[in-house]
Amino acid sequence: MLTIQTPEAVMFWFLAPLAVISAIGMLLVKKAVHSALLLAWVMITLAIFYIAQDALFLGIVQIVVYTGAVMMLFLFILMLVGVDASDSLTETIRGLRPIAITAALGFGGLLVSLIGRATLGREAAGLVDANSEGNVQALAKLLFSTYVWPFEVVSALLITAALGAMVLAHHQRSVPRATQREQAIARFRGASLGSAAGLPNPGVFARHNAVDVPALLPDGSAAPNSISATLKARGDMLESTQFELSEVDNTVTEEK
Amino acid sequence: MTTAQLLGQDPGWLIAVKAVMVFAICVLSTLMAVWTERRVLAKMQLRTGPNRVGPAGLLQSLSDGVKLALKEDIIPAAADKVVFIIAPIIATAMCFMSFAVIPMTGVVNLFGRKTALQLTDLPVGVLYILAVTSIGVYGVVLAGWSSGSTYPLLGGLRSSAQVISYEVAMGLSLVAVFIYAGSMSTADIVGSQHQHLWNAIVLFPSFVIYVISMVGETNRAPFDLAEAEGELVGGFHTEYSSLKFALFFLAEYVNIIAVSALASTLFLGGWHALPGLGFTEQWLGGWFTLIWFFAKVNFFFFIFMWLRGSLPRLRYDQFMKFGWKVLIPVSLIWILIVASLRVLQQEGAPRSAILAFAAGVVIIVMAISSLVERNKEKVRSADLPEGEAPNFPVPSLPNVQSINVSGGK
Amino acid sequence: MTFTAPVLNYAQLAPMLIVLGGALIGVLIEAFGPRASRHASQLFITVASLVAAFAALVRVRNQSSVDAAMGSVGFDGAGVLLQGTILIIALLSVFLIADQENFTALAAAVPGSSEERESLQLDLRVTEVYPLTLFAVAGMLLFPVSTDLITLFVALEMLSLPLYLMAGLSRRRRLMSQESALKYFLLGAFSSAFLLFGVAYLYGYSNSVTFAGIQASITGGSGNDVFLLLGIAFISVGLLFKVGAVPFHAWSPDVYQGAPTAITGFMAAATKVAAFGAILRIFYVAFANAEWQWKPALVLIAIVTMVFGSVVAITQRDVKRMLAYSSIAHAGFLLAGVIALSKSGLDASIFYLFAYGIATVGAFGVVTLVRDSAGEVTDLNRWSGLGKRSPLVASVFAFFLLAFAGIPLTSGFIGKFSIFSAAYETGSTAILIAGVLSSAIAAFFYIRVIVLMFFKDPVEDGTSVVIPSALTTTTIAVTSLITLILGIFPAPLINFIESSAFFIR
Repeated sequence: MLTIQTPEAVMFWFLAPLAVISAIGMLLVKKAVHSALLLAWVMITLAIFYIAQDALFLGIVQIVVYTGAVMMLFLFILMLVGVDASDSLTETIRGLRPIAITAALGFGGLLVSLIGRATLGREAAGLVDANSEGNVQALAKLLFSTYVWPFEVVSALLITAALGAMVLAHHQRSVPRATQREQAIARFRGASLGSAAGLPNPGVFARHNAVDVPALLPDGSAAPNSISATLKARGDMLESTQFELSEVDNTVTEEK
Repeated sequence: MTTAQLLGQDPGWLIAVKAVMVFAICVLSTLMAVWTERRVLAKMQLRTGPNRVGPAGLLQSLSDGVKLALKEDIIPAAADKVVFIIAPIIATAMCFMSFAVIPMTGVVNLFGRKTALQLTDLPVGVLYILAVTSIGVYGVVLAGWSSGSTYPLLGGLRSSAQVISYEVAMGLSLVAVFIYAGSMSTADIVGSQHQHLWNAIVLFPSFVIYVISMVGETNRAPFDLAEAEGELVGGFHTEYSSLKFALFFLAEYVNIIAVSALASTLFLGGWHALPGLGFTEQWLGGWFTLIWFFAKVNFFFFIFMWLRGSLPRLRYDQFMKFGWKVLIPVSLIWILIVASLRVLQQEGAPRSAILAFAAGVVIIVMAISSLVERNKEKVRSADLPEGEAPNFPVPSLPNVQSINVSGGK
Repeated sequence: MTFTAPVLNYAQLAPMLIVLGGALIGVLIEAFGPRASRHASQLFITVASLVAAFAALVRVRNQSSVDAAMGSVGFDGAGVLLQGTILIIALLSVFLIADQENFTALAAAVPGSSEERESLQLDLRVTEVYPLTLFAVAGMLLFPVSTDLITLFVALEMLSLPLYLMAGLSRRRRLMSQESALKYFLLGAFSSAFLLFGVAYLYGYSNSVTFAGIQASITGGSGNDVFLLLGIAFISVGLLFKVGAVPFHAWSPDVYQGAPTAITGFMAAATKVAAFGAILRIFYVAFANAEWQWKPALVLIAIVTMVFGSVVAITQRDVKRMLAYSSIAHAGFLLAGVIALSKSGLDASIFYLFAYGIATVGAFGVVTLVRDSAGEVTDLNRWSGLGKRSPLVASVFAFFLLAFAGIPLTSGFIGKFSIFSAAYETGSTAILIAGVLSSAIAAFFYIRVIVLMFFKDPVEDGTSVVIPSALTTTTIAVTSLITLILGIFPAPLINFIESSAFFIR
């Protein structure tokens, strides 16, 4: 059997339950971001296990690739979806949940009982042998000699993935987007110079300085184009007349 | 004896002492860095900068820190409490962790034992730093998400996109260093530069790419889009106050020092003295190398300040375009060239073949860049659409009217 | 450290390399080619690389080696036959795919949005399907010849990923198409995970990931049988998912219905050949000596698959769904060849795969022709009386259905006969009985469709048969001709397969 040194055993019995608990928690928590975080933690734990077993390169790469890149992209998407998005837990087909839980428990129980009784039946080689020339070197040797063909084929797989992402997400513009320069030219060569210097900011100074109230122009009229189009469409625009000062106190008080 | 073997002999108490030392160095240099930055920026802008607390304002950042710690700690009602508290802790802890593999001195005498001021030397040390910083980003992203408000969320989104993009460029720029040094351990890379030339000279394009992407990676001006004050109030840390904010502040500066330290290690020869000044390495029992190391780190830190003082912030799309369409392709091509040169060298190709290859590359690069320039020229000189003459007074353009030089009274 | 450079046998890898090269050129055309000529050049590249790959394959047809790619690829007679079948089917499917009426104009546009309308007006085309098809073909070529589990997994992913994508590119009923693509992707990822899990167990069992190593361990009997059992079970889940055997079939009706019809034809025919090729190799080479471990389960799955596919197909009201269930039933028939575990079983399976694949492409080719103003009509009720309006198209379709049913004078009859006799020879009487019974049930619903087309009055709702393009005509003509020839005069192909089909160990 593989001899396990004490610090490694202590670390394992400390981290393994944590990993299992967070893996289960990942299934049970409601917010997707929490799930993603727990999954990231499981991945980090795995990386620590790899490192503890002398697979230093593998452990570090696990963190860089999975935790650093894949989970980060995942979080990125979740944030784009929305801050408060929780999974809807209504069943579309009734009665699936008990069936799923029973099946999962049964399958899991079967696996645990089978694997729990199984032994490897021979000495594990251990990574000390495999690492005799260095972890990175040994991996490189395998990748570029024995497994060179699947390794090269994976590159085609990655190209496929990139191409697929382009197919599914690339919007072909029918008209090229106006550059800043073109926009500026259009603004000044256009029919009116009204908006050439930018639109007025919303809000009536000192009375209701908020984004939902149209600004008052110097002549006292309201400027509805100072309000964001979203607010207008939502109907959240207020009248600015109610915030106009009926009479302006122009008397200058004497400073003492 | 290699550094790894040397460090392997450290007893437990020495490792603990060194860990405390590294931590203290990080915190102290943050305090100093804040003060330096404010003073240097002030000089650049013809102001004085903080000069009241302590001699020359040296204690200003300390008093700011105390003030921050004493402020009220606010957790917004809409925040996701657990994540809100974890986020700054992740951000700060990960910055400190990356210092574990930075070699700060050569062989020194510490409490009667021969060792080096470096916690550990991993065979994949540089990758370890990349891994740790990539986890550090979680702090920023989670802070943005958990605050439960729009500006921080936007800041978090921006920073995650930014760090992922620039980490790719950064990783690629490091590949050339690995190829050249034949190792991913920081100590070995320092050693290989000591035997040959600095990587900053041999691998100049990698050096430039690294320096650019390290600014992008640390969210500093002109790439500080994640906390763009003008658009996002404070970005990801808008809702943070008191000690939690202080942690982010600390993380930002430790991060800057960490990437600067990595830059000095990988490209400027690490703790070794400048070429020709090698005799200084024995002074103070080897501790003088720490001074060399910090001189180099401070050089990079000065670049950070200089950039902040002189460049405006980039527009977001320009920034992303720069990362993906310029930095990454350029580094890929550069790696290709470096790898070919390396293989030519190792296979024992004659010097003339190597020179011919290098000359060919230079010619191709020049041809392409001149083509691009000509294209730009065309776009620039393209006629503007003619419009109505404006019906308002316009100042005349300076180069249109001839200036009467000889005129005067 | 010493490093010896790997030695690859490029002649034997040439078919795959040519297809991959074509795909890469296609990607470059997408990136840099002018939009106007993209479709024509892509079609040319795709057809040319498939033909060139076939030529390269013919050149090395008599070679065999285990060392084509450092032990990752086994090149032998069965591999050549399967690769050839895949290339022929792919070529015929590409002719169907060339009819871009089936594909969306812009996959990124939200269904029903103004952007979608604009892209339709601009006549944009998703010409990326050509390189994607080639990537899938390359994966399929690799799948049946891979001789270690890692290559097997990589090939599985490579053939699946483009198919997941292309399933979502339908021009009409896009939401359904996208849903089907997502379903296919999620379930496919799930089954890949099972396969990987199985790989891990087999590695634990035998300390090797090559088929030969696993076989040696089984013969030596030194390893732990629990690991072997789990490994075989999980790997089978992954592979049976790809062929759509019950209970891993849930994706296939939805995906067959949602995907663009040309892609459905390609997927139904070529994936089945590739996946059964891999199943045959892994069970004949790696697991052959552990027969007692997997045979009972596989017999049960085969019987359930045949019966379920045939019975459920009766209730279908949609042509594509019906064909999907029929393909599930056929997967069951094909499993009989795997269970036979004999030379005759292997011969019969390869013949069946060829005959079934060709007929499937042809049948889906006919389905693309029946349209109304809103696109293809797949509702069976609206097919009634088709034989009176377009007798030729209806008879061709009827012919394919008869081939599926296994009526004499079609290729299907020879295929079914040989595969069941192979199963009977090795003593699987249960399979034989179930097979004959479900064939009878299947014949019922095939003939019901024929009755519907020829002996019912046509419905007047705008359903009509469009005049096929030259390429589609070629596909349908060639497929029906092959089906007919194999039905009347199968001996040359059978003899060829018998003389050359074997698995190298």
